[in-house]
Amino acid sequence: MTKLLLSVLMTAILTNNFVLAKFLGICPFLGVSKKLKTAAGMSLAVIFVMVLATAVTYPINKYLLVNNGLEYLQTIVFILVIAALVQLVEIVLKKYMKPLYNALGIYLPLITTNCAVLGVVLLNVDNGYNFAMSMVNSLGGGLGFMLAMIMFAGVRERMESCDIPKALQGLPITLIAASLTSVSFLGFTGVVESIFG
Amino acid sequence: MSKLKEILIPTVALFVICLISTALLGGTNMMTADKIEQVASETAEKARTAVCSSASSFEEKKLTVDGSEYTFYVGKDAGGETVGYTVTTQDKSYGGTIEIMTGFDKDGKITGIEILTIDDTPGLGMNAKSDKFKNEYVGKSGELVVSKNASADNEIQAITGATITSKAVTRCVNLASKIVSEAKGGAD
Amino acid sequence: MAEKKSLRHEFTKGIVEENPVLRLVLGTCPTLAVSTSVSSAIGMGIAATIVLVCSNIVISALRKVIPSKVRIPAYIVIIASFVTMIQLLFKAYVPALDSALGVYLPLIVVNCIILGRAEAFASKNTVIASALDGIGMGFGFTAALFLISTVREILGSGTFLAGIKDLLAVFGDFSFNGFKIPFISENPMIIFVLAPGGFFVFGIMIALSNRIAGKKGKKKAELRGCEACPMAKSCSMVGSCDENKEEAQA
Repeated sequence: MTKLLLSVLMTAILTNNFVLAKFLGICPFLGVSKKLKTAAGMSLAVIFVMVLATAVTYPINKYLLVNNGLEYLQTIVFILVIAALVQLVEIVLKKYMKPLYNALGIYLPLITTNCAVLGVVLLNVDNGYNFAMSMVNSLGGGLGFMLAMIMFAGVRERMESCDIPKALQGLPITLIAASLTSVSFLGFTGVVESIFG
Repeated sequence: MSKLKEILIPTVALFVICLISTALLGGTNMMTADKIEQVASETAEKARTAVCSSASSFEEKKLTVDGSEYTFYVGKDAGGETVGYTVTTQDKSYGGTIEIMTGFDKDGKITGIEILTIDDTPGLGMNAKSDKFKNEYVGKSGELVVSKNASADNEIQAITGATITSKAVTRCVNLASKIVSEAKGGAD
Repeated sequence: MAEKKSLRHEFTKGIVEENPVLRLVLGTCPTLAVSTSVSSAIGMGIAATIVLVCSNIVISALRKVIPSKVRIPAYIVIIASFVTMIQLLFKAYVPALDSALGVYLPLIVVNCIILGRAEAFASKNTVIASALDGIGMGFGFTAALFLISTVREILGSGTFLAGIKDLLAVFGDFSFNGFKIPFISENPMIIFVLAPGGFFVFGIMIALSNRIAGKKGKKKAELRGCEACPMAKSCSMVGSCDENKEEAQA
């Protein structure tokens, strides 16, 4: 079981990286990756909400929806739960955990419409993961998002001092850099398989 | 009073919107549920006929192997004679769960495989859907292994760049073989 | 007369001038994810357009009824309902497309084009203008997806319109199932259908669209920071997404 969970975790972080292989959460990946500090803050908030959202939606899906044959309401229920959860977390953090709120709070409203969060919850259901596997997959997805964000922030900081052809300046070169970062993740193909397979 | 109103009106409005949406969705679901079911059973029937073409009808059976229950189908010809078996098995592949249907003749030789669910990389893992790869399995039996340079009878030529998918498919087929041999053992 | 002209503008602006993908840089996730084949790109374009037009019409019709405090949750509920309806209809009538789009079909809910148009346009304009805006934007989204997926499919798989048969299955049984490009189909450059190829082709497309826009004296396509974000009004970090803008001013 531990081996299976570890393989789910490593797959979510490396081979099936949410950003670089599954294209989930591209907006924050391109939008808030210019500075290392904001990239790290955003990633932590995403990990936090992903894990929390999975912990809340899993029982709702299993006991409320599937048991009553209401699977078709999954999308609408999940997005509403995520939106409510984000609001709730923001209020609780603001009131009781001021330091954590100062670090993560400002990123929270952006996360409701982040496809990585809804994506991970839907993928857990699609893949038929049990509770432990869902939690591990969400944690791995979040960590993978963080790894991609931080690596990419590093690449972008380097790019600042480069002489870029005029036609590619701005967004085009950012996307091409993302493409190369994504190539580096292709190198992980098979790694998880040969360790855990 | 105005404070109460300020909270009450938005809440009621949102509640009404949710109510109407859910009602509409319930309606759509009722309209489409039968059709979705029908599509699913037609797809399964089509796949069964594709992997076990000598059978004209199928009979559903259940069997417990190593503590898990599996459903399999016994294919019968027009005279009601058993001519083959089909089993659907799942495993974890590169992009998530993969679902394979394997067809066998009455001696346990593979007559064909069909990929039911796959979510792998286009151009690599998705090549498992190609006839070339699916035909690798036809005529083989027993425990199969994936090889990058297949020569022996029990070896499957891996898809270029998609060893993980090839192995996942092979694991599914091997499990199916096991279920069928157990099923035959039980019948004899 | 002026009214007529402006309505036509609502429709056409989404296609070139304010193309949601290549000019406004919205909806990047589905753009990259489903552009591996032209058939699934067209399918995604159609699905998103239907949701966009329907949600624009409903939100615009209800714009005076929905209290502004619960505006965003109300929009999300409306959009999610339409997405689920499309999902059920696809499952029933175009099952192959449903499985090709996979998780990206329900993820239309969080496609920023749809929530963005609801907040920026439909909540302030008449039903007719909103419907035209939705059709134009949806068409622009589909056209951009078509361009990107054409490049990726031809170079990466050596085919064009492969699997279109499943898409056309709603209208009947067609024997046409796409073209095979000679030479490339035997030696496809697989990297183009993999994730890196998606980023690369999208980057090149943005560069080209910048060049064309630049010739006409228009602004470059950039991530537009907070002004494009539908959550901006309820967001406490207003301004911190505007990295690119700060730079432009500096």
